[in-house]
Amino acid sequence: MKILIIEDEADLAKSIGIYLSDENYLCEFASTFKEAIEKIDLYEYDCVLLDLMLPGGDGIKILEEIKAQKKLDGVIIISAKNSLEDKIKGLQMGADDYLAKPFHLSELAARIYSVIRRKQFGNSNMIEQNELKIDLPGKKVMVNDHDIMLTKKEFDLLIYFVSNKNKVISKTALAEHISGDIADMFDNYDFVYAHIKNLKKKLNEAGCAPYLKTLYGTGYKWQI
Amino acid sequence: MKKLLNRSLKQFMTYASIVLLISVPAYYIIISRLWQYELDEHNIVLTDAAGREDTFIIIGAVTLLTVVFFIVMLGGFILLNRRISRRLWQPFYLSLEKIKNFRLDQQNPIQFDNPDILEFSELNQSLDRLITGNIDVFSQQKEFAENASHELQTPLAIIQSKLELLLQSTTLNDKQYDIIEDALKALARVSRINKNLLLLTKIEGSQYMDKENVDLSRLLMKTVPLFINFRDDKQIDLIQDISPGVCIEGNKILIEILLNNLITNAIRYSPVNQPLRIALNDNLLTITNRGAIGLNPDKLFKRFATGSSESPGTGLGLSIVKQICMRYGWVITYRFVDQSHIFSVRFGN
Repeated sequence: MKILIIEDEADLAKSIGIYLSDENYLCEFASTFKEAIEKIDLYEYDCVLLDLMLPGGDGIKILEEIKAQKKLDGVIIISAKNSLEDKIKGLQMGADDYLAKPFHLSELAARIYSVIRRKQFGNSNMIEQNELKIDLPGKKVMVNDHDIMLTKKEFDLLIYFVSNKNKVISKTALAEHISGDIADMFDNYDFVYAHIKNLKKKLNEAGCAPYLKTLYGTGYKWQI
Repeated sequence: MKKLLNRSLKQFMTYASIVLLISVPAYYIIISRLWQYELDEHNIVLTDAAGREDTFIIIGAVTLLTVVFFIVMLGGFILLNRRISRRLWQPFYLSLEKIKNFRLDQQNPIQFDNPDILEFSELNQSLDRLITGNIDVFSQQKEFAENASHELQTPLAIIQSKLELLLQSTTLNDKQYDIIEDALKALARVSRINKNLLLLTKIEGSQYMDKENVDLSRLLMKTVPLFINFRDDKQIDLIQDISPGVCIEGNKILIEILLNNLITNAIRYSPVNQPLRIALNDNLLTITNRGAIGLNPDKLFKRFATGSSESPGTGLGLSIVKQICMRYGWVITYRFVDQSHIFSVRFGN
């Protein structure tokens, strides 16, 4: 899987690159408008991470270029602006997702995973991992071909873990993932623990191997 | 409070009446002397009764004339006064009306006329300078806050990404993990403050201007379930008393922010295992949660005036709420009754 990271802050681009490169993603970088346009013209990417404020031009123009060339690259806008107008404009112009800075790397990885899978598999979007099968559009989970019933939050958490496999994820990142902007306003995330406990229990009872591990007391990891 | 021109009219009238009153004996004395002189000249001797009669006639005639002139003068003054106030003071009243309607946060500069009267012209020029200066300072301050928040966003993103990479290190022990987690938590708070500052500057500026008719009852019923996780964490007994069909005019995003901030605050500062009531009736939204000590209503809505040191928020939630209410002319009030904090918002003017 090839990913193009268009971001002028070298440090941030590097962090994203390091985090993603462990997961079979091949990352390339562009730090200016010109460089980004050149790479877009020459290569195909599975996903493009696009910062809107770039030296040399407006990131929206790059999105226009991708769409004008009828490329199938998934596009996720990562912006420091976090203005609703930008978000709506970006999505209307064909971006697949929008993530405001600062974000959790695990959240970014989950968004990339979902964009790429949607683009590549469409309606037959099925994740298989040993005894575990997840039907993404149908929101169904099977272990050894038996359905297990998960709540919406548990399902969301499972996808989050699967798209961040072998990574340590903090409770804060999980809370923000399942509660959105509202989690932002609280400091106490005990409810995450309850959801994870239930998820673990359901997977375990269905005969799923213990992929989901608790680390250091409050961190979690999907180990495979 | 008296009107400026009424005050001068009254003084003119007092002066005129004093002058006319003094003129009555003056006229009388002069006319009597002249009359006496004429009588002496022609050697006419009057009887006492005729003399008294003449005196009365003179006094009566003089007084009558004075009263007539006084009334004419009064009428003239009032008419003149009206004309003066309409014409002479008109530039003053025009400027006054413009200043009355001016609001710094709306950033509409005032165009003063240029009257041909020196004093008013100078007044307008001074006002113009003063207001332009204020608008400049205000927008500079706003721009500064906005730029500062924007500029902070990227380094915050970098720190967060680096800490999260550090979490992936395989040689971490529990203590080190906790340190990183604490740093991440503090960082999350900084990001939150930053985001809210940005939001505040946007609301104070002229963003989120578009309005629509919002079904507040429905929006509120949709908003409350978003908080269920946090309610459960504190085992709060959430009581909803929302009457259907309450509609208000405003920007939907801003109304959502207002509801979110008020509910967040109520949950955040509610003690564990206590009731929290959200009520919407007619145009009045009331959110009530338990608490030990009342808050200072003067400070409450100011920036960074957090009421409590435990579980600190961003210190901006309520000033955002206040700012939104101010934009639409809604009234937000705070009371502390029976060990309960009560926030209410009255929508509509």
